[in-house]
Amino acid sequence: MTALLEPATEALPVAGLPLTAAQSGMWFAQALDPQSPAQNTAECIEIHGPVEPRLFARALRRVAGEADALRVRLAETAEGPRQLPLALGSDDPADPARFPFEEYDLRGAADPDATARARMREDLARPFDLAAGPLFQHALFRVADERRLWFQRVHHAVMDGFGYSLLARRTAEVYTALAAGDEPGPSPFGRLTDLVAEDAAYRSSQAYETDRAHWNAAFADRPEAVNLAGRTALPSRTFHRRTAHIGAELSDRLKELAAGVRATWPEVLIAAQALYLSRATHTEEVVLGLPMMGRMGSAALRIPGMVMNVLPLRLTVAPHATFAELTRQVVLGIRAARKHQRYRYEEIRRDLGLLGEGRALVGPLVNVMPFDYGLTFAGAPSTAHNLSAGPVDDLTVNIYDRADGSGLRIDHDGNPALYKEHELGVHQRRFLALLARIAAADPHEPLARHGICTGAERALVLDEFNATARDVPPTTLIGPIEAQAARTPDAPALVFDGSTLTYGELNARANRLAWHLAELGVRPGALAAVAVPRSLDLVVALLAVAKAGGAYLPLDPDYPAERLAHMVEDARPAVVIADTAARVPAGVGVPAVVLQGLDVSGELPVNPPRALTPQHPAYVIYTSGSTGRPKGVVVPHGAIDNRLRWMQAEYPLGPGDRVLQKTPSGFDVSVWEFFWALRVGATIVMAAPGGHKDPAYLARTIREQAVTTCHFVPSMLQVFLAEPGAADCTGLRRVFCSGEALPRETVQEFGRTLPEVELHNLYGPTEAAVDVTYHPCDTRPAVAGPVPIGKPVWNTRLYVLDAALQPCPPGVPGELHLAGVQLATAYLGRPALTASRFVADPYGPAGSRMYRTGDLARWTEHGEIEYLGRTDHQVKLRGLRIELGEIETELAAREGITGACVLVREDRPGDQRLVGYVTGPHAEAFDADAVRDRLAQTLPDYMVPGALVVLDDFPLSPNGKLDRKALPAPAQAATGTGRAPRDPREETLTRLFAEVLGQDRLSVGMDDGFFDLGGTSLLAARLVRRIRDTLGADLAIGALFQAQTPAALAAQLDAGLGNDAVLRTLLPLRTAGSRTPLFVFHPAGGLSWCYSGLLARLDPDQPVYGLQARGLLAEADAHLPASMAEMAADYVRELRTVQPHGPYRLLGWSVGGVVAHTVAVLLQEAGEEVELLSLLDAYPSDQWQDQAVPAEADALTALLRMAGYERTDELTRDDVLATLHREGSALAGLSDTTLTAVVDIVVNNAHLMRAHRHRRFDGDVLFFTAAAPRPEHWLTPDSWRPYIGGTLTEHAIDCLHPHLTQAPHLDEIVDVLSRRLKELDR
Amino acid sequence: MATSTLTVEQIRADVADALGEDIADIPVDENLVDYGLDSVRIMALLERWRRDHGADATFVDLAEQPAIEAWAPLLGVTA
Repeated sequence: MTALLEPATEALPVAGLPLTAAQSGMWFAQALDPQSPAQNTAECIEIHGPVEPRLFARALRRVAGEADALRVRLAETAEGPRQLPLALGSDDPADPARFPFEEYDLRGAADPDATARARMREDLARPFDLAAGPLFQHALFRVADERRLWFQRVHHAVMDGFGYSLLARRTAEVYTALAAGDEPGPSPFGRLTDLVAEDAAYRSSQAYETDRAHWNAAFADRPEAVNLAGRTALPSRTFHRRTAHIGAELSDRLKELAAGVRATWPEVLIAAQALYLSRATHTEEVVLGLPMMGRMGSAALRIPGMVMNVLPLRLTVAPHATFAELTRQVVLGIRAARKHQRYRYEEIRRDLGLLGEGRALVGPLVNVMPFDYGLTFAGAPSTAHNLSAGPVDDLTVNIYDRADGSGLRIDHDGNPALYKEHELGVHQRRFLALLARIAAADPHEPLARHGICTGAERALVLDEFNATARDVPPTTLIGPIEAQAARTPDAPALVFDGSTLTYGELNARANRLAWHLAELGVRPGALAAVAVPRSLDLVVALLAVAKAGGAYLPLDPDYPAERLAHMVEDARPAVVIADTAARVPAGVGVPAVVLQGLDVSGELPVNPPRALTPQHPAYVIYTSGSTGRPKGVVVPHGAIDNRLRWMQAEYPLGPGDRVLQKTPSGFDVSVWEFFWALRVGATIVMAAPGGHKDPAYLARTIREQAVTTCHFVPSMLQVFLAEPGAADCTGLRRVFCSGEALPRETVQEFGRTLPEVELHNLYGPTEAAVDVTYHPCDTRPAVAGPVPIGKPVWNTRLYVLDAALQPCPPGVPGELHLAGVQLATAYLGRPALTASRFVADPYGPAGSRMYRTGDLARWTEHGEIEYLGRTDHQVKLRGLRIELGEIETELAAREGITGACVLVREDRPGDQRLVGYVTGPHAEAFDADAVRDRLAQTLPDYMVPGALVVLDDFPLSPNGKLDRKALPAPAQAATGTGRAPRDPREETLTRLFAEVLGQDRLSVGMDDGFFDLGGTSLLAARLVRRIRDTLGADLAIGALFQAQTPAALAAQLDAGLGNDAVLRTLLPLRTAGSRTPLFVFHPAGGLSWCYSGLLARLDPDQPVYGLQARGLLAEADAHLPASMAEMAADYVRELRTVQPHGPYRLLGWSVGGVVAHTVAVLLQEAGEEVELLSLLDAYPSDQWQDQAVPAEADALTALLRMAGYERTDELTRDDVLATLHREGSALAGLSDTTLTAVVDIVVNNAHLMRAHRHRRFDGDVLFFTAAAPRPEHWLTPDSWRPYIGGTLTEHAIDCLHPHLTQAPHLDEIVDVLSRRLKELDR
Repeated sequence: MATSTLTVEQIRADVADALGEDIADIPVDENLVDYGLDSVRIMALLERWRRDHGADATFVDLAEQPAIEAWAPLLGVTA
């Protein structure tokens, strides 16, 4: 077939054109992952009517001849990437460079449309070779006699959405003319040269500077850009898409709404998306990304090409604002942005430093395309369908106005790493439902009326998940206990320290005391404080108060006297019951009942009468208060009775059950420990005072006392499970957790240690009678993900509400609210505080209340709640509830302190502690211990900060708020020193010690004890797990207690470290350290072990990662790279897994230097900063091109050199291997397969070195020359000059090339290198 | 349907309407992009002018030089 030569516009200059800024971003993205099809864009135009394929092909060729952008390839040149002219090939199918057009007749297929779609998908999955071109592909599918699908795919680096519309329109025009036998009119397209010139002119204009200043100012505070996934991920190669249509009726209503608020329909949709995002993320401030065609007022309107830009739009979605106001904000925001729309998105990110931190500038993109086009092809009408709009980093909502007036099409495109396909569908359904509600509502009503639930979701989360109604008799906390005592008077009720009380004995003792208390005024509605340590008497006293009808107020003897005195003054109880006179808070003026020496034998042993109702208070428990004073929570009998009845129904206790009472009485978990068992005939086993902190004691007690039921705060459970005796507690039937988030790994550890025991996760604030949710934990190892806090208990409703108090659908975070019978009555004597936390329940019966927990939570799809954190500054530390404000108030009240801030830090993973920061005192004069002693007089010990730091000033964020994240970690205690590790396993052990302890690796010696270095039992459990995971060694927790040092542990480990880990492409030489990592690149042999000498010489806080050649491991997909660029791109991907964004520090020796330079260039071109490029005696390819590629013999020499030997008489690979084995080299530990691979790698690298074309690195180079005389005398660092934008600083080291990485030469190098690194750290 | 000839004042009024701004604030010689004019608004205006005034300019014509002064001849304004 003869090529149909269509007239083409004048070709581009042979030297090509530079890329525009818009193109560069796409080009670099492709260069980083050459095999990725993510930059493909595609659309399909469905043509209804006859099409003559030969004429159609002619039309395509003609349009391609007119559109410069289709006749380029993008290649790297010495001046950087350029678009070079590309001759379009013939129509000859055998010609590899033929015109990319395929024609298919699918009429015979079972489902022609589906077959066509599958072919399109296959094509879309093919990456373009940018350097080869062509960068587009056409296909025409005949799916019916009179219906064809025209498919086109174009690389995003040369075409954008508007460009597509120009191409399609022109194609229809040309085809129509050709079909009519007419000559198509002249090309309407402008030239690519003009686009490039316009871009260059802009970039050197004043407008460019103005735009930059605008964006830098508008985003100076670097707002967090929330997204629907709640996390970010690297771009994927594909995306998920969900498509939906908005019918004509709804889209007309939206357009009317838009006109009514003087906006356009896209602006209304953007406002709706902002509303959705805000509610779905529980955030008022959102940043959307708006793709802009970027052609207004520009010649680009007539040029098919890549011009589009994405602009960030910041919006505040306040519940009280109206939709009209939000839309106005959108209109004005876009108007302001449009004035500066030529400034690139990538540049804004870089200017703000977001690139370096891997942070996003925008959340979801809203891509409105009003350019859907109804073209006709020689009279045949058509409809266009977008297939891919380009890479999807997070979520893109594409909206097309369908040209036929049938409404709008909405595509939700999501990054598969962040969104599952059905999740996109869920977001889409909700968004469409929200649009419908917005269209139906008055735009001048507050946004608060709009939730994001669909109708079905609303019914689900409000009603179905909360179907907990259950009839319970109107009883009290104490009534069922008295009934049980009457039923089983001889059964054991209480065991403590070797003595046992039967139900009858306990009841009689409590009754006598109750009669006495009643005489002193303890009755329904009155309070009685109880200051008794854990003992039989404590339970007797609590029962007696309840029997008299009063509410008990626990006074934990471990609390400071001042705090207890405050509680008594605040609560004004009728009496204070104490075991000894000394325990009665001094000076409070309340009658005391001192149990020691009290004779109540004259009182009656029978139950006293009392007019007690379920509404009367049962107990008052004080919790931390944010304003500096603890507050008393009043819980009525009905609430706690419901709670205990539910618990008995859910986890039936019988007479054989023994419940451990170990929680201090000041915490409400103790309430069920005290009362549940006694209502049902089981026995309470009381732990010794203080015993609750001692895991060994607890394990012993559980075992010896046959405890079946007990409670742990999760952090204490971790400690308990690390205790060797824990596994023997097999008499346990069930363990309850509550008080703080229960980590999945703790659940799994529980399953390993006590596989037959149930573990239940409970949740509830003191304000709702201990617990309101429950979740049975699946302790099997295969179960992953967060541990839910579970479903609501009886007669309890849970609401997860957004900022407008609208219900959140499953998966969407909001503040947890509680309603139902378990709510507390009030905060004692604090009506204003009560009113602010217990508010009207908008979803319950009239007059009902709900409690705002301040906890951030979300529903799972199965009707369970997941706890996510706090909405305020309340924290939980080891299960204890702390208002930081209370500690701050106390601190600030100390003399000389002008400002105080307290936070929980986790500087060592898993090890949380309170740290206080103060301003005012001089650091030298500040006596931290004295201040802590003073705090301990008013605060319980768990609220006294473990460290206090004096600051000159508090760090402030740009908007003037305290920047908590910028507060420094307190100085660490001195760490150990000792013998250094000798082998990889010892090194791993010291590294793990250091990691777990949060210390530098080199600070841990082989003979340093774990606990001497600050280890806790909590951290010990973590270390053992890390050792198991890392070394695959079967190590019991107990081993760490017997063998506390890395040396001793190493002796206990049978298994060695496998070779595989040290042959992977990324070799983590030192992962610990806070500095920017140093990446070191392998020399010719592909291994980076030669850099291990750096570790001891560099600052221990400097992480170091080696990059090693592919192919060292016998992996199925391993192949040697075909070019230096491919190798470098591979390493860029690897190093980004460690450090996603710059500034980067790179170093390479020999071939590794060339690799490092290439990587530096790639990173810079991707917009990253490379702050250090250090080359150790490495020379550019020009210096080698004329040298012969080394034969295998040279490769063998190199291999021996790597092992530190000069080659003598070894002739073959086998000889060399024999030498290595004989000499006991570390390399000899490698398999022969790997050693063979090394030889292949050496040879391959020699080829790549010679073929490589360097591009320019725009920065300085720190160069070390091996300055001893050598045969290759022509090698000179000056040969780098053309490829370096900055200065090259040379340091001559007096040695030969192979000895550079050995002592003492390495000392010299690291001397210089360290100084440079220190400068960079500043 | 009878169509009337467009005038510069009418264009100004329509642009002001599309932007939700006062007519007095709309200059004839400035880039309207700075005043909030975008492609969707241009298309809506163009549609109106085609219908009511028989204008035959294209979107690209108007978007290329987004100023009333430049539009007038394209939209058939005489005088």
